[in-house]
Amino acid sequence: MKVVATSYISVKGAFLNEKKIQHADDTNWLKSLYQALEIDYPKFYKMDTLSKMAFLASEIMKNEIAAVQTSDQDMQLLFANSAASQQTDLKYLDSYANGGTPSPSLFVYTLPNIVTGELAIRNKWYGENTFFITEKFDEDFFKEQLQFAFSRGNKSCLCAWVDTPTDGIEECFLFLVSEGENKPGNLELLNRLNNYRNE
Amino acid sequence: MELFVTGYGAISCIGNNVQEILHALKSEKTGIQKGKQAHSEKYLVGEVLLSNEELMRKFALKTTGSRTGILGAIAAKEAFQGHKLDASIRTAVISGTSVGGMDVSEKEYRNHIDNVPQNLHNYAHHSSGNSSEQIAEELGITGFINTISTACSSAANAIMMGARMIQQGKIDRAIVGGTDGLSAFTINGFKSLMIFDEEWCRPFDESRKGLNLGEGAGFIVLESKESMQKSGSNSIARLRGWSNASDAYHQTASSPEGHGATLSMKEALTIAGMKANEIDYINAHGTATPNNDLSESQAIINVFGNNIPPFSSTKAYTGHTLAASGGIEAVIAILAIQNGCLFPNLNHRNVIEETKLEPIKSLKEGAEINAVLSNSFGFGGNNSTIIISK
Amino acid sequence: MSELKEQLKAQIIEQLNLEDLSPADIKDDTLLFGDELGLDSIDALEFIVLLESNYGIKIADPSEGREIFQSVNSLAAYIEKNQ
Repeated sequence: MKVVATSYISVKGAFLNEKKIQHADDTNWLKSLYQALEIDYPKFYKMDTLSKMAFLASEIMKNEIAAVQTSDQDMQLLFANSAASQQTDLKYLDSYANGGTPSPSLFVYTLPNIVTGELAIRNKWYGENTFFITEKFDEDFFKEQLQFAFSRGNKSCLCAWVDTPTDGIEECFLFLVSEGENKPGNLELLNRLNNYRNE
Repeated sequence: MELFVTGYGAISCIGNNVQEILHALKSEKTGIQKGKQAHSEKYLVGEVLLSNEELMRKFALKTTGSRTGILGAIAAKEAFQGHKLDASIRTAVISGTSVGGMDVSEKEYRNHIDNVPQNLHNYAHHSSGNSSEQIAEELGITGFINTISTACSSAANAIMMGARMIQQGKIDRAIVGGTDGLSAFTINGFKSLMIFDEEWCRPFDESRKGLNLGEGAGFIVLESKESMQKSGSNSIARLRGWSNASDAYHQTASSPEGHGATLSMKEALTIAGMKANEIDYINAHGTATPNNDLSESQAIINVFGNNIPPFSSTKAYTGHTLAASGGIEAVIAILAIQNGCLFPNLNHRNVIEETKLEPIKSLKEGAEINAVLSNSFGFGGNNSTIIISK
Repeated sequence: MSELKEQLKAQIIEQLNLEDLSPADIKDDTLLFGDELGLDSIDALEFIVLLESNYGIKIADPSEGREIFQSVNSLAAYIEKNQ
């Protein structure tokens, strides 16, 4: 298997294949990225931080994804993080904690797999999608899941570590992996992620 | 490689173990009633009528934590009963949850808002992963532990993941399923989406208005043949097929044509190497929301054409147990096979106008049930299907 | 009434996260659930929250919302009638 493309979204900006393609403003960094990247998808504003980051990461990788995709069912989404939807959980809790009315639009995002759902809706991807919770980014875990996917006949997988940890940075590391020779190999995922983090 | 089910366990409002649940299913009595807790008293819900402390005492749990973890530990412990830990049998715990330890966290958060002294240790139980760890700890399992959080399809996805890991030779045995405790967080959320029914829910009925929430946990033990030979366990069923597909339509609503559901059912049949007419019973997702039941009905028609097998939603018994539903309903599927019972779709009076599908209306015993298909569809268009057989 | 309508437009934009829009972009008779604004069923529920939080009006049945939320005009008229 081989990594076809990677992208990274954080307060530092938007990166594609290890090159910075857009700087983010200090305030409203996600909105600034969305506007600077000139994407026209007003539903973006309704999304929570997890979905916004994953959305932007996949939008800037559109060409690379289109190049490997062979059908609307073969793009499997394999996402994971450590904090699930905790950030939005708290915002939703706050919406009614002091006698307010619970917000339905916030409640929708109290499930981390809405992230994969949003990407599927945007791109009309009908393939498999899962969201795992692991303590931290685990390269072996992803490689194992990828092996399963390719053994089943998938040709490509879109994977992401998209996280809003309370004690860390908000980030989305998106990587597109294609079957190649289906030998595990060294995908150097953690190295790539650390390179982005150290930019 | 064939996959065998060698254990099952469940807890819900209709029973604290598998035998009690079977008894309730046969007696056609729902466990849904007016809630007994402060956060649930205004609603019809499927609550397990024991407090966390009572549950821990009654089931002699070694571990403690959130209600989600406690319910999960109870069901997983029942499933794993009679199994032994063995270094040569690589065993995993894969659990699905949507709410994790929220029941504990929201109480602590309330203390925080009300300026009451807090016990910050309670927040340690908050994360989704914590409930899976609690289950593993209860069973003494230190191998692979994983958590899936894909809303109402979580347990089915956990079952799927366990199956794949065994087939790929990564592990020999897996305890798989899901658990969710009822919390104010969830009740408020579904209330804001206005998909509750103030009456007892009526899946697949023309007058259906929405769902009744429930809580509980359901787990099965999966093993390969080689593992069974080592462990000496007996098979009670086989896991034949599984699948997951995206509906790609809306965050919380299903597509009118049931696209994702159609894909997941068809693919599960393909994996099982089975034809549609080999399915003797469908345990539907059937939440009784106007949207799901129409969409799922359409998907069933897409897959089964004119030969719709007997089907029912058992959520009128248990309530919608969210991430636990796929696990509890896998157990119900096995009970249907073992006992030759077609469990009814309670509260049904009139078919849905557009699709006219009639579910099982009363208990049928003495049925020949070889294979059951079970659907679990989650928000985010996450559609999963599993197929279990004799 | 026109002050209420301007207030509503600002509230709608905030409640529904319509960050690309300003109140001037929403006309009094724009069909709120037509193609222009791209609102969906969750937005309809947020309207119900808006009515309750800002105007103390409770709507029990979401299907009632269809007529009430047709446009800023119909929304303002409903509020005037029910406050």
